[in-house]
Amino acid sequence: MRKFKLFLATVAILLAGASAFAQNITVKGVVSDEAGEPVPAAGVLVDGTTKGTVTGANGEYTISVPSNASLRFSSIGYKDQLIPVNGKTVINVTLSEDATKLEDAVVVAYGTVSKESLTGSVTTLKSDEIASAPVTSVDKMLAGKLAGVSVSQGSGQPGSTSTIRVRGTSSITAGNEPLWVVDGIPMMASDFRQLAAVGVGGGSSSTFLNPNDIESITVLKDAAAASIYGSRAANGVILVTTKSGKSGRARFTARAKYGVQQLANDNNLRPLNGLEALEYKRTAVINAGKDPDDPTGSMYFPYTLLENGTSNWYKELTRIGSLQEYEVNATGGTDKSSYYSSLAYHKNEGVYNFLDFQRFTARVNADTQLTKSLKTGARVNLSYSDSHSPQMGSSYYINPQFAMWHPLPWHKVRNDDGSLNYNISEMSGNNPLGVGNDDYNDKEYRLQGSAYLEYKILPTLTFKTTNGVEFLFLESHQYWSPEGSKAGREATAFNIWTTDIRYTTSNTLTYDQTFGDHHVRAMAGQEAMTDTYKYLYGYSPGVDPQIPYPTTAPAANDQVDYSLVEETLMSYFGYLEYSYARKYSVQATLRTDGSSLFGSNKKWGTFYSFGGSWNIANEKFMKPVSGYVSQAKLRASYGVNGNNNISAYRAYGTYASVANLGVANGYAPSRPANPELSWEKNKTWNLGLDFGFFDDRLTGSVDVYNRLTTDMLLATQVPYTTGFGSNTKNVGSIQNKGVEFLLDGILLRKGDFLWTAGFNIAFNRSKVLDLAGNEFLTPSDSRIDDATGVRITEGRSLYTFYLRDWYGVNPSNGDGLWWAEDGTLTNDRTKARYIYYGSPEPKATGGFNTSISWKNFTLSAYAQFVAGNKVLSSNSYVDDGYSLTANTSTAALNYWKQPGDTGVTPKPVAQNPGVYHSLYSTRFLQDGSYLRIKDITLSYNVPSKVLDAVKIKGARVYVSALNPYTFHNVTALDPETGPLGNIEIGVHTAVKSLIGGVEISF
Amino acid sequence: MKRISLYILATVALVSLAGCGKDFLERAPKLQQTTEIQLATYDGLNGATLGAYYYLGSTGWYTCDRVVENEMRAGNGMKQSFKNSGRATQGYNWNYTADATNTTMWAYCYFTVAMANNVIDNLEGKADGEDVTDQDLNNLKAECLFLRAFAHFENVLVFGQPYTYVKANEGSLTDAQKLGVPYVYHTDPTAKPARETVIDTYDYIVKDLLEAESIIDPKYSRAGVADKLGTVNIYTIQALLSRVYLYMGEWQKAADYATKVIDSGKFKMWTAAEWPEVWGAEVGSGEVIFEVYGKISNGTNGSWDDISYLTNPEGYGDPVATPSLLALYEATDVRLTDGFRTDAKNESGYFWTAKYPGKGDRSPNDVNNVIILRLSEMYLNRAEAIMNGAVIDGVSGLDDLNEIPSHRGASTYSVLNRSNIKLERRKEFAWEGNYLNDLARWGDGVTRADADFVLGTQNQNVEFPSYRWALPIPKRELDLNENLVANPGYSNTK
Repeated sequence: MRKFKLFLATVAILLAGASAFAQNITVKGVVSDEAGEPVPAAGVLVDGTTKGTVTGANGEYTISVPSNASLRFSSIGYKDQLIPVNGKTVINVTLSEDATKLEDAVVVAYGTVSKESLTGSVTTLKSDEIASAPVTSVDKMLAGKLAGVSVSQGSGQPGSTSTIRVRGTSSITAGNEPLWVVDGIPMMASDFRQLAAVGVGGGSSSTFLNPNDIESITVLKDAAAASIYGSRAANGVILVTTKSGKSGRARFTARAKYGVQQLANDNNLRPLNGLEALEYKRTAVINAGKDPDDPTGSMYFPYTLLENGTSNWYKELTRIGSLQEYEVNATGGTDKSSYYSSLAYHKNEGVYNFLDFQRFTARVNADTQLTKSLKTGARVNLSYSDSHSPQMGSSYYINPQFAMWHPLPWHKVRNDDGSLNYNISEMSGNNPLGVGNDDYNDKEYRLQGSAYLEYKILPTLTFKTTNGVEFLFLESHQYWSPEGSKAGREATAFNIWTTDIRYTTSNTLTYDQTFGDHHVRAMAGQEAMTDTYKYLYGYSPGVDPQIPYPTTAPAANDQVDYSLVEETLMSYFGYLEYSYARKYSVQATLRTDGSSLFGSNKKWGTFYSFGGSWNIANEKFMKPVSGYVSQAKLRASYGVNGNNNISAYRAYGTYASVANLGVANGYAPSRPANPELSWEKNKTWNLGLDFGFFDDRLTGSVDVYNRLTTDMLLATQVPYTTGFGSNTKNVGSIQNKGVEFLLDGILLRKGDFLWTAGFNIAFNRSKVLDLAGNEFLTPSDSRIDDATGVRITEGRSLYTFYLRDWYGVNPSNGDGLWWAEDGTLTNDRTKARYIYYGSPEPKATGGFNTSISWKNFTLSAYAQFVAGNKVLSSNSYVDDGYSLTANTSTAALNYWKQPGDTGVTPKPVAQNPGVYHSLYSTRFLQDGSYLRIKDITLSYNVPSKVLDAVKIKGARVYVSALNPYTFHNVTALDPETGPLGNIEIGVHTAVKSLIGGVEISF
Repeated sequence: MKRISLYILATVALVSLAGCGKDFLERAPKLQQTTEIQLATYDGLNGATLGAYYYLGSTGWYTCDRVVENEMRAGNGMKQSFKNSGRATQGYNWNYTADATNTTMWAYCYFTVAMANNVIDNLEGKADGEDVTDQDLNNLKAECLFLRAFAHFENVLVFGQPYTYVKANEGSLTDAQKLGVPYVYHTDPTAKPARETVIDTYDYIVKDLLEAESIIDPKYSRAGVADKLGTVNIYTIQALLSRVYLYMGEWQKAADYATKVIDSGKFKMWTAAEWPEVWGAEVGSGEVIFEVYGKISNGTNGSWDDISYLTNPEGYGDPVATPSLLALYEATDVRLTDGFRTDAKNESGYFWTAKYPGKGDRSPNDVNNVIILRLSEMYLNRAEAIMNGAVIDGVSGLDDLNEIPSHRGASTYSVLNRSNIKLERRKEFAWEGNYLNDLARWGDGVTRADADFVLGTQNQNVEFPSYRWALPIPKRELDLNENLVANPGYSNTK
């Protein structure tokens, strides 16, 4: 921290010392942009000297120069112009925007490269694509937009995170989320929330970033692009570049939007209403051989139950959610210094009661040219978020998503006096609306800051040091009020404080030289990172409800827990790039990483890649077709990178205290030492073709890849004579291979009319090659305790469902039937055979987008699709009448009624001994394919003629529908799942929103 | 320019300082003891020694299986349909394969060995001459040597043929028939130890026990534990030596070590009046030399799998005493009147052992101490040794034998012979898990009457010799350690 403070102080002092030059007059003029607007603070320099001036607020300048000199006019974001003076005393200049420069440059690891010399597989999103969709966080926006980047939300909860997989899942026990690098600093992109995050499955969180602050996002997919991130590159890298300032007088943009939300439920699944539920129960009772009208029987379901009215629990527990967001940003600067600054507020009140998410973000990005050779700048982002969640995702009756399917409709939400009804046995005395008395709250404070200093030692040689700090403080508070359930429980407070502090220093020396047709770029660098996570948990039962803080709980009952995790990483790396005549490029990268996570014999690992590209379109023989083929480039690469995404301390043998002989101070080995513990390795090759036709009116690319994960970290059986039964070892391998296809085109361009469209699709296939002797493994997910029905087995897709083999319903009597081991049919669940059946991995993923603009109107839409995956849905709440006390869903109504009925669910039988609804059967396995319209936006740019009158530079109004419709056949509210294909009970499903907004710049 | 250079220099210097510390990549867990740190100090080693008793208390070993399985195999226990949860079936039918053998016991014994070795190998140089003396270290070492020997002994009893049989037939048995278990001296995660012969395994056991006896402070007893008899002192070592020598047929040594324990005066025979109260005691007294201390709070607490629930007619209640066993006792014998119990309504006609009634920590899945060594055994060991030629001045083998029935309200014997010793050992140690080992070392097979074999499906009689007296080595271990040789006779080995 001291290092960082000192650095900031130094930067501040240097900033203060920097000032502009001034000179006398002989030439004068005005510098303006293509729209005729004056360009203030543009540089006017006598070419070949350091003498110069800057334009004033109205773009005017005066300068004294020799009459045979030339003047160089420059401003950030515009192309330089060189104009010979030739004795002229008035030179007015129009600067054109440097659009091509921006378009051709692609942000890659440790720098930018021209698209021409790119050898790796990268995919990019620009700010206009990012800003157009009014989403809450950046990760959500990536869904369906980037070929080979699969984003699943897993939860529709406000502030939720995403599961991101770049080219499939490559690891069983280590993490699979890509590395996030924001402005050159690898970030903590996991969700730290302790309470509000229950059920929010994804591992990638970017809620701390304001999407409008982002200039570009590049996803590095193959080894050539990503390997320079070494031991963290295996799952791909997401490079986020935030906006830099643009010189000129301060320009402001203000944005506001407001929207409403409801649960997405496009197949109209709902709990049964009063009459439906009663008749279903009665049928089940009759089928069980009992009389529903017998008041002395245990299955008494008379029609009189409906006499006092019913509750629609779905309706009562959901609400219209709201979403609002306000933002103002400013950018400006001189020719030497520029800044971008923004302040934004976001609030999302969920579609369930007591569920909300609020966020403030503030950012300052500043850059300044201290001297001709020295440049410095800083990127600082502050964020605060406040989340409340009534235990979404849990299988508790206080979670409304879970609860609403259970109460029988004649059990009402409220008593006649308006108070909440807790007297509902099927909800164990809970009422989800009672959670209003409780609290599940996370307040997260984050600071991400980095400052850099760039020194041009020679015109071709640049040293850059970037130093970052990331600070997270999370205050979590949970409170159980005595009123929250029927039982009248003890008032209990839970307080959790979490901190994570990470320092990163990144230092590079870059060489960039062009000799005629030869272009060489080389870089050598060093990085170091330390990360410290601490967690303090206090459990205080018996607090005074008037003062619900730990101080009022009996001290003897307090329980405290503590956690501390430290991690360090040290790296040395470099790349070498050579290209010839804009036709041939080769590139090599090398990185060696030392990590505290690994065994003493394997602290350091070396990773590398090679890549080459051939720009066929620049060859002479392509000249005859250059009118048609505007781009044609072949790329090939191979590389090895690593996955270090495992818990700390796994390499250390440990002792843990054990209780025996009536005391607790004995110690027994809890884990064997593993000095050989090392990273998982990914070996990837990639072949790609980029193409463009008709002056790039149609562009696209195809990539083919093979990604082999080896040295997988698996718990491996060892002889008991070693003192342990298993040890984590680097064994086993899996393979992901696939094809990605991307196409963008301008379909129609005529006058004021422009119609563009894009399409991407990716096919990934995984295969387990070696499990080191394990017959099979299960995916470890502590939250659902491996009860996923999914197995990992050699020779199969990484995840393959392994379930009881359901045949269907016996048309003659309505019983359920399974296939038995001997190939016969049986209605005995215990005799059902298990089979491997389908994978939750999609056969294809991708998206479409299109945009039509006419004059000032733009209509844009994009859709995301997932095809060929299987999902196991427990979300339909069908139990074939088994439970007498719980309601069921409309999916249960299509049941067997008479001999000959097929394509139905088994006939309902109360307390059905067949237990046909047992989840882990192919009965509940469904085709999970879906096509989701993610966004339709209609926007209108107010004409400048109108705006000029009120001194406003630009104004845009829009209306958007997010997730307006999803085509799917899954018996669930929504088909979107995580990688394991389980649509789980209680997890907040997706929402749809209607949003309107305005943007004004002035 | 100078200012800039200085600035860059300062930055680079700071970066280097931050990054280049020698230990930058070393981040050991602070909230858990690393093995290294645990074993670096006397206190850590002391805690690790206490921890090494841990697995003795697991249901896979002494708090259930070690006792119940042996009783079921030996013909003292049987299944019945009054209470049948499916438990205690495998041993009853002697139904073992390499896939279904006593793997847990194998594992726990070697876990215990590893824990003991970790301490033994790290004691050197930990004495400071003041707070920690060489004797303190020797006491820890003696405990660990005992546990190492004991664990190997337990395993060789299960997975090897009896010593006496191997010794007597050394010339005619195949190599595989003579194999005991690997004797592990050091913790090595890559080691794949081979099996020693039964003869060598016993030699190593004796060697460890003798060293333990020679270095332990005769007054030493582990401090701070709830049950001192749950830990090792010199008499524990001597009592086990008596048993080991007896099992080897080393009669004089068996008698000598029994004498040391008997003459110590530390242990006292229970009277017939005391006898009913000693089972289910919080801590052992009188005869108890070594026991496993049962406690709900033990990390190994088996809850419903504890012996006290399995042998409780109101619990699982699968194993009951065989009619043949019950018929051995005289009506006045306290071991009959108070050693067995019926179901609460007395409607089954079966009798369950009353040696594990629970100590009252919780009901019905209570816990119990399980006795491993006690004074009666020393008398009976000595009696048997004397009968076989051992000589102890002033001691009569018949008196030793009669020491037991005279304290149980039973008739005494007039002759010292094999059948009387066999009878008394069976009656005295019924449901303590040792009779099977007696049958093995005597070369007696198991013969079960039909009435003792209710619900039995196979192996009603198991003759001796037979491959069945050495259980199959777990297939998992055979697969992972190519140096292990399977026991002959079983089909699905490698």
